Amino acid sequence: MCEMRKRGVSAAVICSEPFVKLARAQARVFGVPDLALIVIPHPLGGLNIEGVASRAETANPQLQALIRQIAR
Amino acid sequence: MSPLEEWIRQPASTVRCENDLKKVNRLFQDRGWSDGLPIIPPTPERVRDMLAYCDRPWDSSIGKVAPRYGEATPIRLAVNAVMAGCEPEYLPVLMAAVEAMCDPAFNLYALQATTHPCAPLLIVNGPIARELEINAGVNAFGQGRQANATIGRAVRLMLMNIGGGYPGTGDMATLGAPSKFSFCVAENEAESPWPSLSVERGFDEGISTVTVVGAEPPHNVNDHASSSGIGILKMIAGTMRTTGNNDIYNYQEGTYPQPLVVFGPEHAKSVSDDGYGKEAIRQYLFEHARVPLGEFSRENIDNRFSRRYGADAPADLQIPVFKRPQDLLIAVVGGPGKHSAVFPTFGATQAITRAISREDGRPALSIADLKAR
Repeated sequence: MCEMRKRGVSAAVICSEPFVKLARAQARVFGVPDLALIVIPHPLGGLNIEGVASRAETANPQLQALIRQIAR
Repeated sequence: MSPLEEWIRQPASTVRCENDLKKVNRLFQDRGWSDGLPIIPPTPERVRDMLAYCDRPWDSSIGKVAPRYGEATPIRLAVNAVMAGCEPEYLPVLMAAVEAMCDPAFNLYALQATTHPCAPLLIVNGPIARELEINAGVNAFGQGRQANATIGRAVRLMLMNIGGGYPGTGDMATLGAPSKFSFCVAENEAESPWPSLSVERGFDEGISTVTVVGAEPPHNVNDHASSSGIGILKMIAGTMRTTGNNDIYNYQEGTYPQPLVVFGPEHAKSVSDDGYGKEAIRQYLFEHARVPLGEFSRENIDNRFSRRYGADAPADLQIPVFKRPQDLLIAVVGGPGKHSAVFPTFGATQAITRAISREDGRPALSIADLKAR
């Protein structure tokens, strides 16, 4: 994602809460400290389909906000 | 004054602390630079002494250590080696191990950051392993020998302080493992009936090497009853055959998990006496270290295995723990007793072997060959 951002493509990483620190640290390492993160509750593994849908519902407004920001 | 001396004298190169062991350790704990055990304070004098067997420039690049991609240089490794309690003679082993870990095929980024409890296991081969008295015999994976304990510990401190593998940020292991403190042995070549790990991996006899494996801690195979080679191999296959290991989970195309089997010398002898070479062992374990599909949960079958084996695959379909016979790693380690061990790996990782070499690339025949000029 950092590579895409460096090439001018809008990009974001979907990330569950305990992994936010790792994601921020990695974004800094790869030279894109302001990389957008779409943060969802943990876990993502081991979910049933309803659980996956609820993660998507959390992610959706963040994604929309990001798109609006890009469009401005 | 040499450039190293100049560098050490720059204020940014050092941290000042009262000359009190307790206070130094408090500082290192508070900054997250320690593994939790007391460290030897890496004073400029000790770090300089640690470079006694480093025949290359103190600031040369050995590799970039994920996930921070910090530059591993002899002096940075020396700092961590001092902290760990290493002798200067051990530094070349650490350098070769770091070089191996930075090979992209080892996939250090994933090994460091993963939730899985893997750690780089170092297996040292050749005359330098004996010269440094790296334990290959009784309790080799356990406590008691300075070389094993401190080289392994230096690897962990380096993974933290150069690579950024700090728990909760660069190291997200759910449970972790005691092997993450230290994980270093030598192969018991004297008691192995087979070509050594390093010879199998393409190095000449007499060349000292370090092999790194992204492994789980040992899963023991107790077999006091089998008197035949096939009996022992059957027991090993049974211990390999588990549903929750990453090797069998690694279903992606193009990845070839390399689980490791470590034979205790007595088991190795029994298996060899019955005519099994390493190739035959690999073939047997490839065929017998298999889990029936029905042993996995419904969700695992649906979400993982149905992609590979189809949605209608029968419950008795035998799923191999590793995909190709040639991928199984085999070594002989340990002392007297009827035990061997199985080491599942992270799965998406390849073992890497590097010769312990001089700066000009020629292999070192003895640690003395690496004495700093």
